[in-house]
Amino acid sequence: METFVQLVVNGLGKGAVFALLALGFVVIFKATEVVNFAHGSLVLFGGYLVVATRETLGWAGAVVVGIVGAGLLALLVERLLLSRSKLADPFSLALLTIGVDVIITEEIVRRLGVSLPFIGDAWDAQPIQAGGVTLFRTHLVALVVATVLITLFFIAFRYSNWGIAMRAQAENKEAAALVGIRSARVTATAWLVAGLLAGVAVLFIATQDFSGAGLSRGTHSIALAAFPAAILGGLDSTAGAIVGGIVVGLVDALSTHYVSFAFSKSAVFLVMLLVLVIRPSGLFGTRETTRV
Amino acid sequence: MSDTGTDARATTTAPPEPPQAPPRPTPRRGAQWWVRKALWLALFLVLLALPLYLEAQWLKAGQYMMVGAVGAIGLTLLTGQAGQLSLAHAFFLLAGATSYTVLSGPTGDPELVGFGLDPLLALLGAVAITAVLGLAFAPVAARLRGIYLGVASLALVFLGLYLGQSAESLTGGTSTGRPPATFELFGFPFSNDGDLEIAGVPIRETERVWYLFLALVVIAFLLARGAVRGRIGRAWRAVRDNEASAAVMGVNVPTVKAGVFAVSSAYAGLAGVMTVLWFDILKPDESEFGTYGINVSIAYLAMIIIGGLGSVPGALVGALLVNGLPQVLALYSTQLGWSTGTGEGAFTPILISSFVYGAAIILVVLFEPGGLAAIGRRIGQRLTFTRRGKE
Amino acid sequence: MTTAELRVREVTLRFGGLYALDDVSFTVAPGALHALIGPNGAGKSSCFNVISGLYRASAGSVTFGEHELTAYRPNRRARLGVGRAFQNAALSPHSTVLDNVMLGRYALTRGGFLACGLRLPWTRREERRHAARAAEICDFLGIGAALHTPVGGLPYGAVKRVDIARALAVEPSLLLLDEPAAGMNAAETAELAGTIRDVRDELGISILLVEHDMGLVMDIADRVTVLDFGRVIADGTPAEVQADPEVVKAYLGTDNTESTEAG
Repeated sequence: METFVQLVVNGLGKGAVFALLALGFVVIFKATEVVNFAHGSLVLFGGYLVVATRETLGWAGAVVVGIVGAGLLALLVERLLLSRSKLADPFSLALLTIGVDVIITEEIVRRLGVSLPFIGDAWDAQPIQAGGVTLFRTHLVALVVATVLITLFFIAFRYSNWGIAMRAQAENKEAAALVGIRSARVTATAWLVAGLLAGVAVLFIATQDFSGAGLSRGTHSIALAAFPAAILGGLDSTAGAIVGGIVVGLVDALSTHYVSFAFSKSAVFLVMLLVLVIRPSGLFGTRETTRV
Repeated sequence: MSDTGTDARATTTAPPEPPQAPPRPTPRRGAQWWVRKALWLALFLVLLALPLYLEAQWLKAGQYMMVGAVGAIGLTLLTGQAGQLSLAHAFFLLAGATSYTVLSGPTGDPELVGFGLDPLLALLGAVAITAVLGLAFAPVAARLRGIYLGVASLALVFLGLYLGQSAESLTGGTSTGRPPATFELFGFPFSNDGDLEIAGVPIRETERVWYLFLALVVIAFLLARGAVRGRIGRAWRAVRDNEASAAVMGVNVPTVKAGVFAVSSAYAGLAGVMTVLWFDILKPDESEFGTYGINVSIAYLAMIIIGGLGSVPGALVGALLVNGLPQVLALYSTQLGWSTGTGEGAFTPILISSFVYGAAIILVVLFEPGGLAAIGRRIGQRLTFTRRGKE
Repeated sequence: MTTAELRVREVTLRFGGLYALDDVSFTVAPGALHALIGPNGAGKSSCFNVISGLYRASAGSVTFGEHELTAYRPNRRARLGVGRAFQNAALSPHSTVLDNVMLGRYALTRGGFLACGLRLPWTRREERRHAARAAEICDFLGIGAALHTPVGGLPYGAVKRVDIARALAVEPSLLLLDEPAAGMNAAETAELAGTIRDVRDELGISILLVEHDMGLVMDIADRVTVLDFGRVIADGTPAEVQADPEVVKAYLGTDNTESTEAG
């Protein structure tokens, strides 16, 4: 029973991190219908900035630089590349993000070389004992931070001008433009938000508690699990991203323990396949209807 | 392959008579047609002659491009012609590589499964097995569209990673792997055994495998071109452009989708067989980044985007670039005496190639969505004024 | 060519609680040029989608000759002789006119990946034979000169004709035309009217037409069915329908721009 409680708490902690990443996907998808295959490279970039500036700025300062940097990189990618190809359809733009991902990831992996730094200094490897259960502090902090950020996001999404504009644009792009919503700004903000969330997520991923591995190509692979999270929740559903993230976190934690670490990655994707076969647009996604 | 056209049409109310229209001249085979044929033939002859002149290491590089060519043709049919985004290509490569090794592997090994089949049969068997695996994924593919399908297909790569690691009796495991049987054609080995000379040049393993791969590429290419230009190709494009109208025109959309998945997987399976023959070892990956990892799926996607989605010749050029560049750079770096360092911060040939094709994808999407095929077509148009529009 | 009767019987189509079609019945006589009209959102396209199998009716039946169409998947209906041209001319823009029209021959031909890939003699013979017929159909519709031009490069009027040619390439005995005149000017519409009449007269097939251009409908249709809010409110000759007070009310009461907007 203790193990199970421990696994569930671990799963929720991991799930919270996946939820942050999946939320980024969903925000971009809602604004532009583009699936951002470069999300993993944003995660790596944020982490790398922390590593690069930690010596001079101290950990806390480096964390701010990392988060903001990941956000700005996302913004740059959108402004410099995606927005320049207006004629391109979401499918082509998704392919474009694959190109971006390859370049950024390879360059950061090259810079990291053989060093695999951990970056969750403030919480990593300081387990807490509670009633016979060992809990990882990283997961607890992740859970709290993610809850706060996601709450803030939903408040902003519901009440801020950006949130309203964003929802209007997702509903009907032409109509939104007609009532004066500036599509470019909404889209750019969506990318910025997604980048910031990725910058936060990496602080929990590249830790001993979460993956046992420092910042590396493996971090990018872990970030890929945000895909199944976003997809099984439904690519156009913000609430779905949170549920999807939690499901992925739990599946990951439980299958690692009860089957094997090697299997956990496949397990996450298999659960996604299962959900998709039953509901092709995910749990909360809107169904496409054919029109001719 | 699967196809919808075989159903009996016995129930039709007014069976349209096979049309007996007077034959209309198809566009005349103008000078351009002959020039094009001649260029293809010249290219083929050059490829035939190359082993007589090139050193083994260059031939080896060329072989790797041919592996990519076969896989890329398969993917461009699926993603370019039929519009089904797939990131699962690496999985089918692994499936083909494993199938060949297992089918042709020696029997009686206590730890490794082997069926001791003739290598040619093993190759055909591997292609058939991957085609069936592609079909098995079809029910999932039939329900999903576009990006959902792309991400769902990613699941297969992760599954392959896990199976490759855990099914050690098939794959030999990540630490040692297992060697594939040397390919043989009716008793003729593609190895250094036996003496064979052409024009005084000894034809040894590298030269022999070059000719084998060349033959496979030619077959793969001609089949794909014929299919694209024929009835099945039209069905693929119809499914890509509008599923509803395709269905109303008589295309059984789920069947055609399943069929193109099977065809594409079979191509990937063949490329997998070629991969394992090229490396001369089957070694499953330890992480998502490897010989059969996500990076490979992406590399194949890069080939067909750069070449122009849906273009079969474009896939060849894309493969030349994406698979050729790291090989050629590696050869030049030894020739020029660069250190091909593997240490921290080194610009390895693979790294530089990744930069190049990453950038190429971006440039193609931004400036020339038709890829190199569109550029080539435009140059062709500029040179001659007539044109046979087909694809 | 002989053709059969299309009988739409008590068809209901529900999306959730919304009735797109409510107990719709009408009959297209063999060889008739039958128009289906109604204000926007009346259910005309939904009705087409039920007949061609893209939507599954919640209740009711559609028979064509002795065949219960609702029992067949859409691709099987093409084989039974139902051809359809689309409102938005759903063609492949990068493919040539011939290639697009040849898609209509799909159900009449055979050959999968290997047969096409190997370019077997019988495949090539079949391909040539059907290409000749497709070219003939294109000539008939006046787009024979553009056979080898990509559809994306053609003017709008020609694109609509390619779509009709593709539907005819199915060798249908019933042709469904979804707003063929939409977006055309008066001269193009007049020319199209002639073409539609020629298709019916020379091929002897039935045509069911959805159209907003009342001039065109009243000019060429022998019979008109009027839908409003998913129900049939009138059915008769053009003259009868025009005089029907229900019809006048439906058009004037909801949206009286119908007859002009499509022109």
